[in-house]
Amino acid sequence: MVKYIFKRLGSMVVILLIVSLFIFSIVYLIPGDAATAVLGMEASAEDIANFTARMGLDQPLWVQYGRWLGGILTGDFGDSIFMRRPVLEAIGEHLPPTVSLAIFAQLIALFLSLPAGIVAAYKKNTALDKGVLFFTLLGTVFPSFLLALFLMLFFSVQLMWFPVAGYSRLENGLWEHLRFLFLPALSLGIAQSALITRMTRASLLEVLHTSYIKTARAKGLREGKVVMKHALKNAGLPIITTIGQSFSVLITGAVVIESLFAIPGIGRLILNSISRRDLPIIQGIVLVVTVFYVVINIIIDLLYGAIDPRVRLDKE
Amino acid sequence: MEQPTALLELKDFKVHFHASHEKTTVVKGVNLKIQPGEILGLVGESGCGKSVMSQSLMRLLEYSADVSYEGNILFDGQDILRMNPQELRKVRGNEIAMIFQDPMVSLNPVFTIGNQIEEVLKEHTRLSKKERKSRVLELLGLMEISEPARVSKQYPHELSGGMQQRAMIAIALACEPKLLIADEPTTALDVTTQAQIMKLLQKLNLELGMAILFITHDLGLVYESCHRAEVMYLGQTVESAPGRDLFELPKHPYTKGLAASIPSLTGARKEKLPVIPGIVPSLKENLGGCAFAKRCPYATEKCFQQIPPVFSIGEGRAIKCHYDIDQGVSLL
Repeated sequence: MVKYIFKRLGSMVVILLIVSLFIFSIVYLIPGDAATAVLGMEASAEDIANFTARMGLDQPLWVQYGRWLGGILTGDFGDSIFMRRPVLEAIGEHLPPTVSLAIFAQLIALFLSLPAGIVAAYKKNTALDKGVLFFTLLGTVFPSFLLALFLMLFFSVQLMWFPVAGYSRLENGLWEHLRFLFLPALSLGIAQSALITRMTRASLLEVLHTSYIKTARAKGLREGKVVMKHALKNAGLPIITTIGQSFSVLITGAVVIESLFAIPGIGRLILNSISRRDLPIIQGIVLVVTVFYVVINIIIDLLYGAIDPRVRLDKE
Repeated sequence: MEQPTALLELKDFKVHFHASHEKTTVVKGVNLKIQPGEILGLVGESGCGKSVMSQSLMRLLEYSADVSYEGNILFDGQDILRMNPQELRKVRGNEIAMIFQDPMVSLNPVFTIGNQIEEVLKEHTRLSKKERKSRVLELLGLMEISEPARVSKQYPHELSGGMQQRAMIAIALACEPKLLIADEPTTALDVTTQAQIMKLLQKLNLELGMAILFITHDLGLVYESCHRAEVMYLGQTVESAPGRDLFELPKHPYTKGLAASIPSLTGARKEKLPVIPGIVPSLKENLGGCAFAKRCPYATEKCFQQIPPVFSIGEGRAIKCHYDIDQGVSLL
């Protein structure tokens, strides 16, 4: 197990190196040269020359890359051009709202989708099943920002139960924190739950037809145990994969929802940075998000091994 | 057959499947009895309804298909078809247990063998955790598994097919059931393992006095291990006889066909192995007469027009045929 984790971390380094190459080349992929892109068309030749020298853009590519990579390895992601502060500091400040929102939204999604998926699979082809399927379809096609607007209108404007928008830091109290995050988390959670519900239903349906489920019933176990113990654990792998994917989507920042609810998260930061051509921030965010992705995937793989003994992680 | 206290008695038992407003009857009125401690073989080719029948004895089909039943399944005088879910659960795994064809897919892959055996004990007995653990080891020992402690901690995929089937039998026997339904328990195993499992089942039958309903397509196995056997064709039983007689002196034309199509290792080598002509008719076909008439070499006009009743022909034997072929006489 430990050996496996180290092996995965080793491959993570390789992935990050490759990704870092792409991120680094962002500077050269945008049309025109980086200095003009950042400073604007009206910048004087002197300004551009200064900027180029300051950012080291006149050095050979491999020197630039080496310098940038060396900086990252020592925790120096460079400075934001617009905010004039270290990139890591800016990202660190915008990360907590996004992480909170992602976790909250994921919990809501699980709370809705797992019971719905299990019931739908067990009561296959009944009105209940069809109802669940209808709602998952609705959840898939209904844009989450539209749902967010409806929720806002109903819960904030009409009932005045929740604030319309804004964010309260966790340090100011959990209750306030959750109150501000509830509507955005609900909009995201409902959208994410649709997929997880469908996956849970499909995966469980497949398992419910197996022989070992028949064995479980032949043993005289009650239906609750047959489904929740024998079937669900076997149906677990695809469900966990979907949950992992959905969490990856959430953690990378829900750009639209964060903007809509004025939450100062990663999504907002990247949106603003793109419009300001703040390249160091964009590069930093992409790198951080990549790390999240890879780590989530490692966790999912470890869970596979924990759930299914046939998945041997230590073996070659 | 005349003994009054049957352990399990089927009375005109029928199983219907319903799919898109169409009713298909797969088991078409079976009457049979299993005495305590008896090994009853149920023989038939694929699609004759023997698996459906055996699984409906514990009503295991109703979860995955739309089925309805007719008739009675009397177990110890109680009708299983009229039990509520709670009563049914008390019978399953406790009084009647079942093992299936392929142990690889019948054991849950994500739980240890020990866990899967212990679970039955937890459901049906009041044994403490410690007592359950020791009972698990005792059961695995009874299955002639040499290292019970190690095997109980293993997962199904770590065991061979034969060991898996032994583990399945251990699960089935955990609560010392009065009846074991064995649905082709050796079909997925190689010949040597098959022989070992059959020996084990016979030993358990003798030592524990547990009755076994042994479902198979293999007449040879019936000959070796069954006290009595029923031959099933197209959802009906067509012949009933002591296990050995069925093989040596088959009476019904269908059984004769089955027995003749077994290759012999000794004796003269025949040019061609005899086969029963034709295929099993569709269950949906409405047969006016005997279900086997179409494929029967002895069929007469009467066979196509009248459904034959069951005739008792002595020595605990009965056939569902108009004629006693060997004597060349009509039974009516």
